[in-house]
Amino acid sequence: MLSNVFTKTIRDRAVAMLIGSVSIGVMLWWGMAVYRDIDIGFYYENLPPAILDLMGIPSGGDVAGIAVGAMYNLMGAFTLAGLAISMGAYAIAGEERDGTFGLLLGNPLSRRRVLLSKAASLISVTAVGALILWGFALVVPGWLGVDMTGIDVTAVVVAMFLNALVYGFLALALATWTGNRSLGSGAAVAVMLIGYLGASILPITENLADWARIFPWYYFSGSNPVVNGIDWGHTAALGGMSLAFFAVAFIGVARRDLRQKSVDRTIFDLLRENPRTKGLMDRIAGSARVSRISIKTASEFQGLLVITAGIMFILGISMPLFYSLIPEEFTQLVESFPDALVAMVGGADMSTFEGFLQAEIYSITAPVTLLVVTIVMGARALAGEEERQTMDLLLSNPITKTHLITEKVFSMIAFAAAIGLATFLGTWLGAIIAGQPVSVGNLAAASVLLTLMGLVFGGLALALGAAFGKSRLASGGTAGVALLSYFMFSFFPLSEAFAPWAALSPFDLYLGSDPLTGGMAWLDGAILMAVFAALVALSVPLFQRRDLRG
Amino acid sequence: MSEIPAIRTEKLTKHYGDVKALIDLDLDVHMGEVFGFLGPNGAGKTTMIRSVLDLIHPTSGRAEILGMDSHEDAVEIREHVGYLPSDLSMYPSLTGLDMVTYFSNLRGGVDMGYVDELVDRLQADLTKKVGDLSSGNRQKVGLILAFMNRPEVLIMDEPSAGLDPLIQREFQKMLREFAAEGRGVFLSSHTLSEVQRVADRVGIIRLGHLVAVESVDGLRTKAIRQVDLHFNGPVEASTFESVAGVREIVVSNGRATLSFDGQMDELLRVATSNYTLVDISTQEADLEEVFLEYYREGRAT
Repeated sequence: MLSNVFTKTIRDRAVAMLIGSVSIGVMLWWGMAVYRDIDIGFYYENLPPAILDLMGIPSGGDVAGIAVGAMYNLMGAFTLAGLAISMGAYAIAGEERDGTFGLLLGNPLSRRRVLLSKAASLISVTAVGALILWGFALVVPGWLGVDMTGIDVTAVVVAMFLNALVYGFLALALATWTGNRSLGSGAAVAVMLIGYLGASILPITENLADWARIFPWYYFSGSNPVVNGIDWGHTAALGGMSLAFFAVAFIGVARRDLRQKSVDRTIFDLLRENPRTKGLMDRIAGSARVSRISIKTASEFQGLLVITAGIMFILGISMPLFYSLIPEEFTQLVESFPDALVAMVGGADMSTFEGFLQAEIYSITAPVTLLVVTIVMGARALAGEEERQTMDLLLSNPITKTHLITEKVFSMIAFAAAIGLATFLGTWLGAIIAGQPVSVGNLAAASVLLTLMGLVFGGLALALGAAFGKSRLASGGTAGVALLSYFMFSFFPLSEAFAPWAALSPFDLYLGSDPLTGGMAWLDGAILMAVFAALVALSVPLFQRRDLRG
Repeated sequence: MSEIPAIRTEKLTKHYGDVKALIDLDLDVHMGEVFGFLGPNGAGKTTMIRSVLDLIHPTSGRAEILGMDSHEDAVEIREHVGYLPSDLSMYPSLTGLDMVTYFSNLRGGVDMGYVDELVDRLQADLTKKVGDLSSGNRQKVGLILAFMNRPEVLIMDEPSAGLDPLIQREFQKMLREFAAEGRGVFLSSHTLSEVQRVADRVGIIRLGHLVAVESVDGLRTKAIRQVDLHFNGPVEASTFESVAGVREIVVSNGRATLSFDGQMDELLRVATSNYTLVDISTQEADLEEVFLEYYREGRAT
């Protein structure tokens, strides 16, 4: 192993892991603090295991179980795995794309030794994250006086760690074998998300329950380590998968010609290279997409749009169908959900179809998906051009900075609207297919408010990028504000002292009026729109007053 | 030569915190000339260019391009300026042609026939993605973007980085043609030979100060050159010591070899009035030495 490759990789990645795991730890703390004062024991015993699974909550627990379940089983596991995927995909293929792998191999090292060092740093950084989460879970209950009887923190942390390695090594294997970083990370994320949904949803229906075993996520959550402790069979399965993926990478890394510093080939490029399709493709992918700044910006993010709008459309179609499969007794049980649990899914009343849609689509999934797009687009609109050092060239053309911002904002609005529309159409279509009566106007209202809220956070990211010229600062800062806003909206109302503050959250302007049952809240919509417009307007002077980074 | 200068700066100053990147820079670049801007790395060349183009704001002082204020009229200025940034970055997933199309759409009024001519002259490949091009080939795309609207003022920051010598020659020819058409060319560089070949005047910047502005011919007369004088009989070294600009004398038989940076007519007068001069040869003035002298002085202060 190469100690300096190892330490450099750790240094590059440690900060992200620290931020990620400490945030999850802090959320565990807040979550436990909010749940502590609420008597949930009675309700908790009556909840069906299926719905608990979806929310990552282990059956048989209490305050500690809910908090550890929601924060660790779901968000913690996704965070650790997400960071492992990004490390795995970058390890070899990323260095190749950046042209630094050749530089590294200019020294007397073999490819496999580099790979080993990269794998060791992936394991170490993930272990650090897991240790931090373990530490929080040991310390926080003590501070808050929460009883941890029956909760096996070590088991869940070990399972989370191994689970993250599975996806990290899957990304490593795919990216290293092909030399394509985006392929590695994209496929690993897809396997993870599909696995999560499959492993959580399939067990609800009895005759499909066994199919859950085909998903890797099942070997993480299926044995319910929070209350049942370590399941050695599942642990071995996770370890075995990681090893197998690593073996693929080990063979793959030495097998092929290395790429030079390069840009990824898209399907458009292949069609443009083919003489038969070249003429048509040049018109579509060439001159059309560079006809103006907004369209060029849109084309840069087209992949992201296709994926996110696709996810929302498919979720929209499938959730109503899923609702119609849920047995009647289930909805009766759901009516007895405790407020605290309801808060976790954005305050939705799951016993009605509208409430179910809100819990499964509108309160978390749709905002997260939409915010990823608007925040990334907002943060990169100006700061991204500066970081790529293309701003000087762009501004050598006779355009004003206001015009530049307007164009960038156009593309952001179009994308947010497209995702809102995909969510609306998917859900509407799903409701028709499933034969569930739903008000089209209310669905549209929720989708419009959703879009406007997404734009507010996109506008914030734009303004931060305009002010500082750093896209990571802009997206990280905005994501932090968004998380806080969600927390304010969903958890503050549980406590009398905090409840009035919830109204400050953009999430409250979006869902507070319950648009899925109440229809369009025009005032809330107007406020969201005004805040967005103000943030965009503010970006102009922030951008103009500053020296551009060159 | 037009009366409005291509570029004019008045006491242009830029500080980054405690670092004084540019100090009281006064400069006129005329239409119809190629102005070479020379200085070692970190001297303030790029800071000056980015201030003039309103990409960064000067701490004090002001700049004009074609008589327009660099900040107030920034957008109108860009209609008349072609600019090539240093360390050129472009959108890696666009082809060269996409880049040209994008920028001509933003700019308007670009003659694609002229673009084809530029592609020919620079032997550029516009079909590949710029991210897959070598740095020299990428630079050619940048040059085309700067030239394509036939700007009245060209501002180029380290333009010949990565270009092969043949293309460098062609590029220098294009600069001369631009100047000959009455346009202004501002060429920042640290390639001395390029500036020597193509520029009418040079400005030398060091540690943020403009230390000299001279015509290239003027610099040449200042340059130390080697002069060989052949006489029909033995000569005395002392004869030449009185001539201003004589640095070093080596005398052997009828031959005197001098390091000389003075006026040639005075040397010839002294040589011919005392002896019979048979032959004379001089080596081309080495501007590189002159430049290096300016740079070195900077280090001493």
